[in-house]
Amino acid sequence: MLGQESALRKRNSITKIHRKSMNNSILLKSFFAEVGSLSKFSGKFLSRFFIPPYEINELFKQCYVIGYKSLPLVGLTGFIMGLVLTMQLRPFMIDYGVESQLPAIVGIAIIREIGPVITSLIFAGKIGSSIGAELGSMKVTEQIDAMEVSGTNPFKYLVVSRVMAATLMLPVLAILSDAISLYGSYLGVNIKGDTNFNFFWIQVFDSLEFRDVLPAFIKTYFFGFAVGIIGCYKGYYSSKGTEGVGKSANSAVVVSSIMIFILDLLAVQITELLGFN
Amino acid sequence: MGKQIFNNIKLGIFILASLAFLILLFYMIGKNRNFFGSNFTLKSRFENVQGLKIGNNVRYAGIDIGSVNKIEVLNDTVLEVEIIIENKMKKIIRNNSIVSIGTDGLVGNKVVNITSTKLNAPLVKEDDILSSRRPIDTDDLLRTFSKTNNDIYLIAKNLKKTTFDFNQSNILWKLLNDNSIVENIHLSLSNLHSASIEINNIVKNANSIMDHIKSGNGSIGTILYDTAFTLSIKNTLNNVNNISNSAIKLSDEAKETIKNINYELMKGDGAFNKLLKDSITGVTITSSIKNIENGTRAFNLNMEALKHSFLFRGYFKKSSKKN
Repeated sequence: MLGQESALRKRNSITKIHRKSMNNSILLKSFFAEVGSLSKFSGKFLSRFFIPPYEINELFKQCYVIGYKSLPLVGLTGFIMGLVLTMQLRPFMIDYGVESQLPAIVGIAIIREIGPVITSLIFAGKIGSSIGAELGSMKVTEQIDAMEVSGTNPFKYLVVSRVMAATLMLPVLAILSDAISLYGSYLGVNIKGDTNFNFFWIQVFDSLEFRDVLPAFIKTYFFGFAVGIIGCYKGYYSSKGTEGVGKSANSAVVVSSIMIFILDLLAVQITELLGFN
Repeated sequence: MGKQIFNNIKLGIFILASLAFLILLFYMIGKNRNFFGSNFTLKSRFENVQGLKIGNNVRYAGIDIGSVNKIEVLNDTVLEVEIIIENKMKKIIRNNSIVSIGTDGLVGNKVVNITSTKLNAPLVKEDDILSSRRPIDTDDLLRTFSKTNNDIYLIAKNLKKTTFDFNQSNILWKLLNDNSIVENIHLSLSNLHSASIEINNIVKNANSIMDHIKSGNGSIGTILYDTAFTLSIKNTLNNVNNISNSAIKLSDEAKETIKNINYELMKGDGAFNKLLKDSITGVTITSSIKNIENGTRAFNLNMEALKHSFLFRGYFKKSSKKN
């Protein structure tokens, strides 16, 4: 009797392990499938991008929606980021007797890393989810199929314009966010200290070099492309009705945020290899 | 349609604002790195550049005038640093200026400092190589700091011991608590003050005397500053000199005369020579002296007899009364 129980327990545990490994293998397979599918989707975007007709009006419209409409949110976060960073750094800078270097350090931190990455993450949160949800709802309500039937290329109209708009607008937003952050930092310096406006900006610009600005500027194009393409991919291949729409929006934000960090890591390695650091 | 145009305008402003900031950023960085405007290059050679990097600032009298353009290793001991400098500095920097590598603050970036020397020299030209000064080695600096620190430690230790001894010493505390010492010191200081006043007066008097002397008054003044007196002394000294010369001459003549007399005494035919050298004359003289002695004795007898003579007795009595 006891022997039968132990044999049954053993069989159950083996079944559990087997099921778990099966699940892992399915997850791994689905991950690779997802990566492959996303790569294929990106390739399709690149191939469609150069072929006319060009949806210029839609591109401008998306630039307005993705870029201009994101400015208040990005600007506000940038301003708070600059202000808080300065206020947090200030006591330590005073302890080390290098308070005068505060604008230079905040300037380098914002321009090189914090500005582009935080802006991209905010952008991913706002635009990635909006693209994912918009295209997902169009997919589940079969609007995309309807466009195909009506002779409009949905991929070109919906995907290319949005990805291009995201790619072009994120650098613009990042630059404006940097400027607003630095202004926030200036106010942060002036809350407890007293620094002349011109002197603050001269100190910031004096500490910066092209090797600080250029890699940070260039990587935002890749971040923008990643947010756009992932958002579109998740929305374009959305399924399972309204539940799928929410899932697409959510996974678009998560994946594009992770992708931003991965690309940032790659950018650091590449700039290191090129001798920019 | 109208709304879309309005949206496009807003988008345009948004993009232009971003571009403007980007251009400003690039312009300011470029300006700091001398990418715009006309520049010229100078070079300098170092053994060690102490972590200097391309793009570090170049300063002349504390003003940023350029940046480091290239750092090249010429051989195992020499590195050539090429710097870009604003063209307007061509009229100021001379080719005997010294280039050194310093630090912007204690923990700041490295900077190249150009220091002018006070010597005159021609102005710099494109690609001139300026002489360099060995940069301050941070390790050397730290070593010196460490040594100074040790010295301070020893001083502090000694001071601690001294303070301890001082606290332990009853005599010192007694001295410190003794009010009479303070009074004595006060008195001494007062005396010192009086003495200094006296010294001051003495010095004043001495100055007055010196002024008096300088104005030529008094004996010392006359001696030191009266030209007529000096001339008189000079004349007197000349006279003394002449007298001295005459005395020397006289002495020489006397010497000659004595020499002649001596010669005459020794070798001449005169009476003295005969007196000294001629034995016959000596005998004659001895005999003559004897005769004189005899004559004198006889004369004395005669005189004695004369005294007792009645003819002259009166005269001798008168002369003895007079005496």
